[in-house]
Amino acid sequence: MSYPMDTGQDCLRAWEAMPWVLQESATQEQSQWLDRHLVHCASCRAEFEQQNRLRLALSLPTEIHIDANAGLKRLMDRIDAPVREETPHRLRSGSWLTRGLVAAVMVQAIAIGALSMKFWSAGEAPAYRTLSEESAPVAAGSIRVVPDASMTLTDWNALLHSLRLQVVGGPNDMGAYTVAPANSTVTTQQALKQLRAARGIRLAEPIVGTP
Amino acid sequence: MNEATIDADATDRMLLQRMSTGDRVALATMYHSYHGRLCRFLSRLTRRTDVIEEVVNDCFWIVWQKAGEFRGDSRVSTWIMGIAYRCGLKTLRQHGDEPVEDDAIPEDRIPSSDPDEDRELRDWLSKGLDRLSADQRVVVELVYGVGHSLDDVATIMQCPVGTVKARLFHARVKLRNVLPSLAGESPVLKESVS
Ligand SMILES: [Zn+2]
Repeated sequence: MSYPMDTGQDCLRAWEAMPWVLQESATQEQSQWLDRHLVHCASCRAEFEQQNRLRLALSLPTEIHIDANAGLKRLMDRIDAPVREETPHRLRSGSWLTRGLVAAVMVQAIAIGALSMKFWSAGEAPAYRTLSEESAPVAAGSIRVVPDASMTLTDWNALLHSLRLQVVGGPNDMGAYTVAPANSTVTTQQALKQLRAARGIRLAEPIVGTP
Repeated sequence: MNEATIDADATDRMLLQRMSTGDRVALATMYHSYHGRLCRFLSRLTRRTDVIEEVVNDCFWIVWQKAGEFRGDSRVSTWIMGIAYRCGLKTLRQHGDEPVEDDAIPEDRIPSSDPDEDRELRDWLSKGLDRLSADQRVVVELVYGVGHSLDDVATIMQCPVGTVKARLFHARVKLRNVLPSLAGESPVLKESVS
């Protein structure tokens, strides 16, 4: 990862001021200072243009079209419904919940630091052998993934979701999950590449030759 | 905080107060006033419209029930966004490994009403956002899209300001590295040419 402040303190200060200047919440002094810096700093100028473009893009009307009236009606129905409605509603889509409950609790525990580092550090080199042991046969194209201890459950879920992967097994003793493409539009090679490039992924390896 | 923001917050507080007495007209007014921005905010967490709909209603279900408990130490909008964020995370956990239904993804090309320029900008944005974590996308949306301060974002995400700063920082670095710059060439190249 390349850091933006190689060029010095002023560029760092400029970098930090940009969002607030764009938001018009910066002080007048801060805005004027940034203006002056941009005059003679091409790199920050480019960054500022980029930031401005980001702000513009985020202010475009959303492409999500959801009917507010229909939603409100459902909400009113829910308010009128007898109390029993609440709990089953939550457990409806249980695939991650039931199959992955242990996993979820575990990742979360790691994320909040409840499990100490020894859980992970035990797995540096010798972990490989353990990682490769699978109790059940796995589908071709599966990938073994070890998320980093600092990865939150949210990020993990979002990552899998964005790569169209689903958890099909794990975590094993070393915290390795087995994931597989959720549909045929994703190839293992692509997924592997993206997983390896993703932040918070410690290890991603294809599972081969385990019939 | 500008005057418009203060006025909007006063209106929101009044609506909340009425909701706490069971006033459904107030609920409907509040629902309509927040529906758009909540959908937009949640669309940075997930692209599934069914999930977004569900989360909006989960959020308002809580707002309705807790209207009387609002203590007023933040703006109402910050409070509601925070509830939406937590409902969103909770729901995403439940939907975590489910593949996205194709028909739940909004049409890739929306006909008319979307000039080429906007389309280009959208593609550019989604290319960048795709590379961010959910929390980074949320911070980017709240800061650049909604215009919240670091303190607001920390309140919404219930985390220290330092964490928000770090998320914003990493998101910006990632976007910078992923998104093609406007000129189509990097400043470094430019300098070496001259
Ligand atoms: Zn600079």
